[in-house]
Order: sequence, then structure tokens, then C-alpha cells
Amino acid sequence: MTRPPNENLPAIKLVVVGDGGVGKSAITIQFFQKMFVTDYDPTIEDSYLQHVEVDGQWCILDVLDTAGQEEFSAMREQYMRKGDGFLLVYSVTDKNSYENIIHFHTQILRVKDRDVYPMLLVANKVDLVHLRKITEEQGRELAHKLGIPYIETSAKDPPLNIDATFHEVVRIIRNQPQAELEKRKKKKLQILNKCVLQ
Amino acid sequence: MADETFKVRTEERLKIKIGEAKNLLCRNHGSTPHRDVYCTLSLDQEEIFRTSTIEKTLSPFFGEEFQFEVPRKFRYLSIYLYDRDRHLKQDKVIGKVAIKRQDLASYNNKDHWFTIKAVDADSEVQGKANIDIRFEPVNNRNKLSCQKRLLVRVVECSDLTLKNGSCDPFALVCVLYSNGKRISKRTKVRKKTVCPQFDETFEFDGSVGQDKDKNSSYTVCPENEGEICELHVSFWHDGPSMGDDVFLGEVRIPLQGLQQQNAALRNAWYFLQPRSTKDRPMPSCATPPGTRLSVNSTLGSLRLNVQYTADHVFPSFVYEPLRNLLLQSVQCRSVTSSAVQVLGDIVTNKTEIAQPLVRIFVYHDQIVPIIRALAEKEISSLTDPTTIFRGNTLVSKMMDEAMRLIGLQYLHKTLRPTLDLVFNEKKPCEIDITRIKDTNLAKANLANLKEYVQKIFKAITQSAVHCPALMCQIFHNLRECATSYFPNNREVRYSVISGFIFLRFFAPAILGPRLFDLTTEQIDCQTNRTLTLISKTIQSLGNLVSCRSMQQVCKEEYMECIYKEFFTDQHLQAVRQFLEIISASSNIQTVTVDMPVILKEGAMIKRAQGRKRFGRKNFKQRYFKLTTHDLSYSKTKGREALCQIPLSNILAVEKLTERSFKMKNMFQIVQPERALYVQAANCVEEKEWIDLLTKICHTNSNRLEKYHPCAFINGQWLCCKSPNELAPGCSAVSCPESNLHMALDPERDLQRMHSLIISHISGIERLLTSREYTSVYATGSRLTFHEEIDGAHKTLKQILEVAYQLEQKHRTYQRMLTRETKYGSKSAPIGDDNYLLASRMNLDTALLRRHGPTEGSFSIS
Repeated sequence: MTRPPNENLPAIKLVVVGDGGVGKSAITIQFFQKMFVTDYDPTIEDSYLQHVEVDGQWCILDVLDTAGQEEFSAMREQYMRKGDGFLLVYSVTDKNSYENIIHFHTQILRVKDRDVYPMLLVANKVDLVHLRKITEEQGRELAHKLGIPYIETSAKDPPLNIDATFHEVVRIIRNQPQAELEKRKKKKLQILNKCVLQ
Repeated sequence: MADETFKVRTEERLKIKIGEAKNLLCRNHGSTPHRDVYCTLSLDQEEIFRTSTIEKTLSPFFGEEFQFEVPRKFRYLSIYLYDRDRHLKQDKVIGKVAIKRQDLASYNNKDHWFTIKAVDADSEVQGKANIDIRFEPVNNRNKLSCQKRLLVRVVECSDLTLKNGSCDPFALVCVLYSNGKRISKRTKVRKKTVCPQFDETFEFDGSVGQDKDKNSSYTVCPENEGEICELHVSFWHDGPSMGDDVFLGEVRIPLQGLQQQNAALRNAWYFLQPRSTKDRPMPSCATPPGTRLSVNSTLGSLRLNVQYTADHVFPSFVYEPLRNLLLQSVQCRSVTSSAVQVLGDIVTNKTEIAQPLVRIFVYHDQIVPIIRALAEKEISSLTDPTTIFRGNTLVSKMMDEAMRLIGLQYLHKTLRPTLDLVFNEKKPCEIDITRIKDTNLAKANLANLKEYVQKIFKAITQSAVHCPALMCQIFHNLRECATSYFPNNREVRYSVISGFIFLRFFAPAILGPRLFDLTTEQIDCQTNRTLTLISKTIQSLGNLVSCRSMQQVCKEEYMECIYKEFFTDQHLQAVRQFLEIISASSNIQTVTVDMPVILKEGAMIKRAQGRKRFGRKNFKQRYFKLTTHDLSYSKTKGREALCQIPLSNILAVEKLTERSFKMKNMFQIVQPERALYVQAANCVEEKEWIDLLTKICHTNSNRLEKYHPCAFINGQWLCCKSPNELAPGCSAVSCPESNLHMALDPERDLQRMHSLIISHISGIERLLTSREYTSVYATGSRLTFHEEIDGAHKTLKQILEVAYQLEQKHRTYQRMLTRETKYGSKSAPIGDDNYLLASRMNLDTALLRRHGPTEGSFSIS
């Protein structure tokens, strides 16, 4: 394993969102501390920092784990502004959490004022096979509809796809066509102005 | 229909979140290119709210929410962005976003980016003008012609724009002829008024030719004969010198040909409009300093989230069927097929539906059983008790709303003392060493944080006896239900309650005190962080009871030091005890609250009460505080009260006519000896004070029946001219709505429910006609599956039926309104596209006609 280089590394801000009790913290803690927390302690707002190597490139991963309860939705836009990429997490055992994903997706795009943004749809708790209510097809269908990639995870030991999830988001962020995005943004702005002027 | 003439009131509510701005232009002078930005929120031009200032940025994040009852009519909701300038005396306006009232609802509930526009005389136009237009035949003895004369009477204006706090308006009447000739005449200047009475009439010839008119001041092209084409009446603020006049708005009326002339022949009110682009002066000389920006360059954009509702509320009996249908949900054999649950499944935005539902059920004393029924259904389908009520469902949202409604005073009483301390002391509490510059401070910070957490923890755990009885009953039911479904799980009896009272009540309130009215002041970055840390610790402490192991894993490493201090048996015991008491079966009757609870406070201007007979009766700013005991005021916040008025001494609370002191937003608090005249900061504040004071003093036995709408000035009442200061009132006091049960307004909430149903009506219809609804209820248990689907189907049909009936009443009312509203009257001036408060939330006629149970009685005029 290579050591993280000392020079200034790019910091990448990831935000984990989704309904309450879907396992956002479990995924995050499994990634950072390599363990599964059995006790459920609802999160208000936790942040984690780590040097990570993805595809041979090092970066500082700054992950914000958020509250799922709507009572905290006033704080949402604040972290949505800051995030470079988002993990939209739902539980395959909870239909409501699956249906609420779309609200997170829309709000992120609206806050960012973009048509696309680096996001990953995460279907968690796939180890609970007998309790599963949302199938893989339904998950993929939603991901297709939102135009974002899909991954199935389990934070319970042995973990499934936890590292892969975080690495994937980093890849999506790195691969987004920066120049094109900027151009599109400008164009949109011009159109908007035209509309307003008329 | 004669019975449709009952009283209908319109209730408007606006909630706005000012998110952030971006792409602001940088300063082109001064030391830094950045700006210090804040926003103000205005109804037309009256400021009602102001955000905190975000410093040194071109993309400020505000994230501030403000909601209020709309107290009066308005045309535009405007958000102005200002750049604070410490060197100059006046802050500079960057630009504004103005949204027409009629367009507000189309932006509901979603974040939108709005283009920021320049602020100039034309974008600031407001108000209306009354103009009378007539044609008169000319009795010309010399020539036999059918010459006629145009008579323009400029009667009056109302609500003109203030320019730098003043307005000295005059009108310029200009007639345009087809040959290019213009004739202009002006009225006298009226001083210091936004509602000038002009009442001046001007005469214009129907046609102009070669012969020179003495009155015409500007003759442009007197070549050939010209007919009247257009009338422009513009209003100006009289500047200190020639050329300084500021444009206030204009009315353009086409008068070409008989048809247009006949259409305009009347005495009517017109909305003032900005000038057409070609008539505007070049921006370099007309815009006030600081806004000299070319029209084409972008000023940036502003993200807003607005929620505007306007409900036409009918008298109670109209809602009988809907009310019964909703209340029946409690008795339903299976709550899954009840109206409440069925609607909860259809409406995606749970907050929107939970709010009116909770208020309706609280009003009818059915909140405890409905939450029990809904919670039982949710618990019964639960597989893992550790995540009990952690998702966002109808029942969790209803619990949230219920706690806010029932427990707000309790919340204030419990948290306020410590939070005030946090706001005032501003001790640093950062314990994450990656966020501290000087790591030596970590220890001191930890001590500060510990002190605050300790105080709040103590306040909460000792507050059990003050927890409202209704909340205790709900908690008791939740506990019973959870323990019966998970008898082997010892923790669930606590976690089911801590998941609401800590996670959804105390923790969010500590994190966002402004959203719970715990403070109205701006919160700085550091205090925000302190609140976050306190909230996190309190939430974890509340959750202690549901942990199977005492050595809870610290999610973030730096939090370990604070957790260590509190994760003791003693604290655990305190939480358990607290949860036990608030969910006890025979709940201890809440100790009668003897401590006064603050209901509202803030600065207002009051007139000296004139206790000294000959003293000067001047106006001074005072800090007012209304508690459950009295209304008092002091010099400034926190100072000793100068005057205390016991609530029992308040005989009436009424508005005071503007003409009394020529001051806006004034109201009076009538006491046995005299009346206290107070001016609120704006119309929203005024309404809130009056509503609250009226409500709290409504039960006073000595309440007056009559009062004086004007003040007693110079030895007489301005209203009735009575010279006796103690003369009984001359007008009946306004009657507050008969239902004051906990300040609830059930008709309004039922109307809200109706509007929600109507906006989801196509979804309900689709559900009824397709087999789709089977999937919606597929979560029901197997045995009762079919029964439940049938039940839900039946309920859906009933909901539709009730909704159609109610909607018919709305249609009838709308038609009546259309018939009775005179376009061009003061309440419906000419010039805005939509002069009626059209209820856009209501169904279009076509959709209604398709369903014909009542079609016979429904004819379209």
C-alpha cells in the first residue's frame, strides 16, 4: 500500500442523504472505522475526514453524514450547497425511503442550479433478504429515471460494496466534464435572461 | 341561490425561505471587490423582514425562513438585496426580485432561482389612481360642427411610492394627437402624502389643427389636423429643483376612435404602471446612485422557496360532510382504509397535510385516538424495533406537528433560559481540534460546552411535570402500543418516546431556535456551531435509553470527550425517569402554570399615555413584552419595565385610523382610564400584535362593546366629535371569530384540506379507475387484505363526493364574486391581468363538469 503524499491534496466533499433509519451512518462508519454499529443513534450531523486512494490518485475525503428526519430539513440546503457529490441512500426494506429519494434528488439539482450533478443511488440493507420490499429492478429503474448510477450495499459484517460506493462517487466527481458543465450553465443563464427581458 | 350569500373570508398565508444569491457583481470601488449583503422582504414597498448580513462574498448564503399571515392586499412580494456600506450612510441597493401575487402559487414548495433586476423609478411603481374621463360637445356659436372636448378629472391616488421617505406628488396629464402633437397640463403639488386628493379637471380639444392653443405648452408639430389618440396621466414626486422630479407611475389610456373612447368613458381606478421602455430616460441619469448598471448586464440570481396559500373559508356548516368524514377515521375498523390514512397516502408532501389534520383533530379532541390508531398500524408492520418511527411517515409528521402545536409554550419554558444564556455569553464550544486554530483552547471550550449541555439536560429532565397533558396521553399510548408488540424488548418503551421528544422536538429546536420562535435574533456562525454540538449531545443522551450496551460507539472521535462526561448511570437514570413521567398512565395533572410565559416581544413606538394633564404627548420607541400575565414595556430589551398593564385591564384592542396621527400601522389598547396608542413596525407585526392581544383578552368580562376608531385629540374624539374624553365608544368592536379554542381555526383548516384534495383530485380519480390502488395498500396484512382494499375504495369515493359538493359551492361563490366585482372600482382597478383573487388552487370548470352528480343545479352564466 502506498503512503499518502504530503503535498496539498484535493479535498472532496461528499454528503450522505436519505430518510431516517436507512443506514446512512452505518455505511459511513463501516467505511471509515471498518465496523458495524448495532445500536441505532439517530444522527444530527457528523463529519469524517480521511485520506483515500482511488484509482491511484490520493485525495482527502470529507464526508458529511446527515439527519434523515424531516424535522432537520431546514439544515439540508446548507450542506447541499457544499457537497461535491451525494450518496442517495434508501433501505430496501422501507418503501417510504425509496419513494423519498426523488425529493432529495430534485432538491440537490435545484440548489445546485444544474441539470446533472454527481450522485449515486445506494440501495442499503440488501442482506435482509427476507424483509426486502424493493427489488433490484425497481432500484435500477429509479436510478435510470434520475440518470444516476445504482449500487447495492450492506453495512453489516461482512460488508458489501461499502468501499466501492465511496470510490464510485469519487470517480463520478472526477469524470464529470467540467468545461462542458460550465458552458451549459452560462448558456442557461443567457436563456433565462432573455426570457426575463422579453 | 339565496343561501349562498353567507360570509366568506379569504385567508392568505405566506412562507418564504431566502436561500442564497450567486453571481453578484463585485464592487467597483473601495478596498475590497466583495460585498456585505443582506436582503429585505417587502409587501409592495413596506419592509416586513430583514435577513442578517453575510459579509465579504458575492454568493451569500442566507438560509432564513419567514412566515406570516398576509394582513392586507398587495400586488408584489419583493425581495431587495442590499450592500451594506459602513462608510456611506446609506446602504446601496444591489437589485430586487419582485413576484406578482397571482404568480406566487406557481412557485409553491420548490426552490427557484430568480433573476435579480435593477431597482429604478420604473421598477418601483406602485399604487393606483382614480381618473374620470368624459367627452363633451362644444357649443361653438361661430361654427356648426360636431366638435367635442375631452375632460379629464384627476381625482385621487392611493399608496404611491415613497422616495427617500417622502412623497410630494403632482400629476401630469398629457394628450397625444394623431399628428404627433402633445398637450400637457399639470396639477398642483400635494405635500407629504402617498394618497393625494387632486380633484382637478383639465380640458382638451377633440382635435387640434393649425390654430395655436393657448394652453398647450409644448407644440411639436402643428402642421395638419390631428385627432386624440391616447391619454397619459403620469404622477411625479416634486423634486427640489427643476429636472429632479421622480417618476411614480403612469396610466395610459388609448382613446383613438369611437370604440376606444366609449370604453374609456367612465370614472375608474387604474393600477399605476411603469413607463414603456422607449419613454424611459437613459439609465445613466435616472437611476439612483449605486444602481447605475446597464440593463443588459446580469445582476446575479437569488434562490427562493415560497409557499403561498389563499383560502376562501366558508362558514362551519358547509364543511360538515368533510369534517365528519375525517373524524370518522378514529372509529374506522381498520385505519388503513380511513380517510386520514388514504389522504396521507395520496398527498406526497406530508407536512402540507399533517398541519391542517392535526389542528382539526386537536380542535375536536380527537388527536390522541387518531395518533394511536395510525401509530398502531405502523408499529404492527414493523420488523425491527430499533428503527421505530425513524422514517418520515404521516404519523411521524403528525406527531411533529402535534408537539409543536400543543407543546410550544412548554418548549419555550424549558429551553429558553439556557438558550438565552448561549446567545448572550457566546462562549466558544468547539471541541473538534481540526476546526480550532489554537488547540490549547480545546479544554476551555469543552468546559463551556459541558456547562451548557448540563444546563439544558437538567432543564429537560426536570420539566416532566410541565409537559402538557395531551402530549403525555399520546406518549402513554405510544408506549403501551410498542410494549405490546415487542414485549421482549425492554428498551422500546423508552426509545419510542425519546424518538419523538428528543429527536423530533428538543434537538431540532436547539439546532434551529429561530424556527421555533425561541429567538428572533440573528445567529452567528460560532453560536450556530455551539447549538449543533449541544443538539448532538442532547440527542445522544436522549437516545441512551435505547442502547443495549453502555459503551456506545462514538461516531466522531472528538465527541468522545463530551460523551464521557454524560454517559453515566446517573444521567441514564434521569432520562428514564423523565420518559416514565411524561408517559405515565394516570398522568399527573400539569401543575397550573403560574410563571408568566412570554408570548411576543419586540420594539414598537408608543404615544405618551398623558398621565400628566399638560405634558407633551410625544412618541417614543419602547420594548414591549406580552406574557400570559401582562403587557409591559421598557426602555430597551432586558431593562426594567416602565409600565405594566395587567391583561384584565385590557378592555379592547383595535386598530387606530391612520388620520388620527397620520401614522401607519397604529393600534390602540383600551384600558379603563385611557387608551395606549402604539405603532407597530409594519403591517405584519401590527396584525400579529392585535390578533394575539385580542385572543388573550377575549375572555375578559369587562370587554368593551364599543370603542373610538380615532384618537382623542385637541379636546375631541376625531371620529364622533364628542368633546367628552370618557364618552362611550361610537363603533362596535371587531368581533373575533367565535372559535378561540386554543387559537385554532377549524374552518380554515378544513378548507385547507379541501384545497389539498382538489389539487390531488386527478390522482384520486386515477386510483379509483385503475387497479393501481392495490399496490398502494399492498403493505397491509394478508388476512384483511381484500377487506381493506374495498374499504379504501369506498373511502376514496366518499372523499371525491364530498370534494365535488364543496367545489360547487366555491364555483357559485366565484361566479357571485365575478358578478359583483366592478372592474375599475377601487378594489379591482384596471391594469392587472387578474383582478379577482382567482383561486388557482381550484379545479377548472371542465374537470368539474365531467362529474355530474350535481350538474343539474349548475349552470354556467
